[in-house]
Amino acid sequence: MGIYKIIIFSLVFLINIDARPISYSGGTTIMYKSDSMSNSFYAHYSPTYKYSIGIENVDDKFFNESYNYLRLTYLLNRKNTNISQRNLYFQSGISVNNTNNIFYGIHGDWETRRWFTGFGYKYVENSFGRDFKDRFIQLGVAPYLGEYGDLHTWVMLKSKTNSLTNNRSTYPELKFFKGNTLLEFGYSDKTEWDLHFMYRF
Amino acid sequence: MKKILLTLLLASPLICAEQDNLDMHDHSHEGHLHDTMVDGKNLNVDPDRFDKFMEELTDVKIAIVSVKGMVCDFCARGIEKTFLKDKSVKKIDVDLANGKVIIAYLKSKNINSDEIEKKILSNGQNMSDLQVLEV
Repeated sequence: MGIYKIIIFSLVFLINIDARPISYSGGTTIMYKSDSMSNSFYAHYSPTYKYSIGIENVDDKFFNESYNYLRLTYLLNRKNTNISQRNLYFQSGISVNNTNNIFYGIHGDWETRRWFTGFGYKYVENSFGRDFKDRFIQLGVAPYLGEYGDLHTWVMLKSKTNSLTNNRSTYPELKFFKGNTLLEFGYSDKTEWDLHFMYRF
Repeated sequence: MKKILLTLLLASPLICAEQDNLDMHDHSHEGHLHDTMVDGKNLNVDPDRFDKFMEELTDVKIAIVSVKGMVCDFCARGIEKTFLKDKSVKKIDVDLANGKVIIAYLKSKNINSDEIEKKILSNGQNMSDLQVLEV
């Protein structure tokens, strides 16, 4: 199989997730996400490892609007063991353009070097009179265990629903990261292309 | 009402973050080799990895830190960055497979267990053990 076929094959089975929504103390993260519902650029800063604050510019394709969220993500609970880490996060945002646009929710994950599970729930209120819920669950496995500094890869299965579009889609995904950079992208016949780029410094 | 709650939630971490910062480490100091010289035979680290790390290093103190929760490369980035800000750190190695961080300090450095523990915690992980070796 040629390299282009491998790349295309990989693209078909990818989708975005919010990986590590809080950085280490003093860390700054920039993200770009694009899917069938919106494009967004999000920058956040973590004063401590327990929370991050940031601003997100959203180009909402569904409502054909653009707005900015002031966002907070807070680590509600973390359990570290020798082989795993478990996290539970609260996430929220309020639009600086229209304070009727808000969202809040939780998401959690548990991972070892080999296995990953995650879930998320997000409720979005808006001034368009069309509040909606986003939910997902996720399972993943690392096909190989790289050393520190190597290119790391995750093969995942994700199921997500959006009450606004009544779409439920379940499909495989891949995630790559190396150093300070994370890249996810994918395609589903229901949600079409997803892209997620993240850089941390 | 929801806006008020959101505003409070936005503000609350700014108030309580620092006091919470030390809440989450769960390791006991009992039975650990804190600030202890060891003879090299009982080092809790991969010997080949350690030998490679020590190449071209002389007159240093080595801290071998066992870390809980260091499950991915992305998680460990902050540990490396945090320690490299310390000018007394000459070299650092992250061993994801064994959950170890090896740090080479200048020999004049007084290695402090609490200082290392706080740096690990500032990245969101917990130190579970520390061994110190003078070379």
